[in-house]
Parts: sequence; C-alpha cells; structure tokens
Amino acid sequence: MNSGVWKEVGCAKLWNEWCRTMDTVHLSPTDAFCVFYQLKSDPSVFLCQCSCYIAEDQQFQWLEKVFGSQPRKNMQVTVLTCRHVTEYKTSESTCSLPSPFLRALKTQKFKDCACCPLLEQPNIVHDLPAAVLSYCQVWKIPAVLYLCYTDVMKLDLVTVEAFKPVLSSSGLKCLVKNIPESTEILKKLMTTNEIQSNIYT
Amino acid sequence: MASRYDRAITVFSPDGHLFQVEYAQEAVKKGSTAVGIRGTNIVVLGVEKKSVAKLQDERTVRKICALDDHVCMAFAGLTADARVVINRARVECQSHKLTVEDPVTVEYITRFIATLKQKYTQSNGRRPFGISALIVGFDDDGIPRLYQTDPSGTYHAWKANAIGRSAKTVREFLEKNYTEEAISNDSEAIKLAIKALLEVVQSAGKNIELAIIRRDQPLKMFSAKEIELQVTEIEKEKEEAEKKKSKKST
Repeated sequence: MNSGVWKEVGCAKLWNEWCRTMDTVHLSPTDAFCVFYQLKSDPSVFLCQCSCYIAEDQQFQWLEKVFGSQPRKNMQVTVLTCRHVTEYKTSESTCSLPSPFLRALKTQKFKDCACCPLLEQPNIVHDLPAAVLSYCQVWKIPAVLYLCYTDVMKLDLVTVEAFKPVLSSSGLKCLVKNIPESTEILKKLMTTNEIQSNIYT
Repeated sequence: MASRYDRAITVFSPDGHLFQVEYAQEAVKKGSTAVGIRGTNIVVLGVEKKSVAKLQDERTVRKICALDDHVCMAFAGLTADARVVINRARVECQSHKLTVEDPVTVEYITRFIATLKQKYTQSNGRRPFGISALIVGFDDDGIPRLYQTDPSGTYHAWKANAIGRSAKTVREFLEKNYTEEAISNDSEAIKLAIKALLEVVQSAGKNIELAIIRRDQPLKMFSAKEIELQVTEIEKEKEEAEKKKSKKST
C-alpha cells in the first residue's frame, strides 16, 4: 500500500477481546485495524484494508460509520476475503478440490456476472464480509463478495494469484494496469513474509 | 480418496500411493535450491543461501556439510531432519573407517543414507525424512561421483542435478547446458553451477554458496569474494557473447 498510488485517508480503531493491544488510545498507524485508502489517480475509488476481527456487536456501528447512515446508491462494493478450504462444505473429498479456488456471492442489485461460480449451499460467509454484503443488500447497493478457499494458513503467492480473475470483472477492469513484472512484484511481496522461518533450508 | 490414506505412513492407498512419502517430497520443494555438478576432475555443489534474520549468526545456517574429508553433501527440506541424517552419516563414515580401515565410498554412504530414509517409510508412527540430498565426492579410484537421494529412500547417480525450490527450472537449464565442453575444465564446471543457480536466485552472487572437491584434495568452500569474482566473469562473458551476436546480425 505504500507504493505511492494510494493515499491513506482514514482509519477505524476498535477494541474487542481478540485485540492484542490493551491501549486503544495510543495506537500507532501499524496497529490501526482498518485503514482506508483513496486511489490518487481516481478519487472515487476507496479501499479498506481490514486486518482485525470485528465482533458481531461492533459490525453494525462499523458499517454505519463507514457507509454513513444514508449510504449513496450509486456506489459499487467489492469484498475480497479468504477462508481455509477445510471449512468448505462439499460432498467431494478435500483432496480433489483445486485449492485455492474462488467463490462469489452478490446482492440483488449487482447485475453483472461474477467471475467465478457462486457459493454453493450450505456454505456461508462469516464476520465482516458477511456484514458488508448484508448491509449492501438491505440498502440496495450493488455489491459482490469474492471468497478464496485456500489450503495454507499464511498468505502466499498461489493464493494471491487465485484472485486474478477478479481483475477482469467489470467493476475493477478500469483500474487494472498491465504490468509485465506483476508476478515478480507479487513474489517479492510474498517472500518478505518467509524470511524468519528456519524450518526449511 | 487421499484423505483416508495419508494418516499413517504404513498404509498404501488403493492406487498404490504412499501419500506421506509424496507429501515429504513437497516439503523438499520448500527448501532453497541446491545444484550438484560432476566434472571430469572436480565435483561442485552450489546452493541458494537462505536469507538469515538480522541477529542470526550466518555461519550456523549451513546447507553444505562435509560428511568426511572426501565426501560432502547439500540438502533441501526440513533443517532438523537434515541435521539428524548428517550426524548419522558422519558417525557411519568414521565407524566404517575404523572397522575396515578404508574411507567410505560415495556410493556406500549414499546407500546408507537412502536405507535410513527408507526405514522411516516403513515404520509405525514415524514420518519420512523431509529432505533430499546431493552427495558428492571422489572415491579411492579417483572417479568423481554425484548421487541424489529423496525422502522415499531411492538414490541414483547423476551427472548433474538440482533439488529444492525451482529445481525443475535448474534441471532444464542443466539438460541444455551440460556438455562435455562445459565440464572440460574445473573453472568451466564451477561457472556452470553458478550459471544454473543464477537462473533462479535473486540478487546474484550475494545469495550463493559454493563448495568444490578436487581429486585428492579436501573440500573447499568459496568465500563471498571468490563467488562475486566468478559472477562478474560470467556477466562479462555474457555481455561479450551478446555483443558478438549483435555484430553478426548487423
């Protein structure tokens, strides 16, 4: 996010039992749990990066604060989230699933096609992504949620690349830049997380 | 239905797979790349150095280990498993020397390591070793050897091979570039090993470790400076080759 393309415009701080820090008043920017960015080249595009758990009783207030109590109708929302493949309920064996894979859920107002199959029953979406989608359905905002089922606990290159079809969706197509070194840049971002592990040499 | 047949190592799946062994081979792919080359008078082992944490002592993160004066090995995969295998192999080398008063042959110690690995694929409650090893050295007859073992306990002799992450890319490079000419002299064999690693290693010479054994000489580890020199030479040769190409086309 510090590539210079996005501008940080706000953050939402909250505390619940899942938070690791006790002091919510003096949170540093890296502690801030939900950070909002605005695309410099197109100020109508906002991005929210949420890296904490938002409890059920806090979700409604979070949504009110973020979308406002009277949300605008002419916006479109895309939610990206991940889940472990063992939580995917299916009659197939998990070993035959092509992890990582994408599934989508969309609101009634979202008229375009999702770029992957829709989430089959009895699977459900949890936590904040579900809250955002429900809110958008209630307020008739076109929204789509892309859920990636992955078989690793930490984010890695293969999981991130599973989201690539999303870049060709109608909502995000205009924002996509064709960078030939995109794979290299992604690799670099992923490998910075791997340095500390001594398990493998 | 792999999920039912990968819990215990001793169980075959209906289609004949030992899933734990195959999963161990995936663990090997998580280790950084190692390449081994058998030259005419030299054997070369090159490895991609893992980036160490700031406060970590770099000397304790070793991928290339001597098993005896004339044999050394590089591994890829689980660090702790490698430590156990290397210790056992080292003890076996000395035990052999004391018993029969001859140093081990490269094939003997490779077979020992491979047998050890195989035992762990056929025991209750134990998992296979998650490492592949490249074992190089010279026998008493002066012939250079390169062997590769994998978690299943198989071992084979190779002219050149790679293990670990991106091993496939390096192996394809070696298949194209391993020629009699390329290994005709020692420095060419060393350059071939470095070139192979440069295919997959980022930031060139700083992340490469190299070891060689020449006939009747002990193991030599290259210093960072020596590797940088080699890398600079390789880059010069590349530039000159490209200049010649562009001259020819004009």
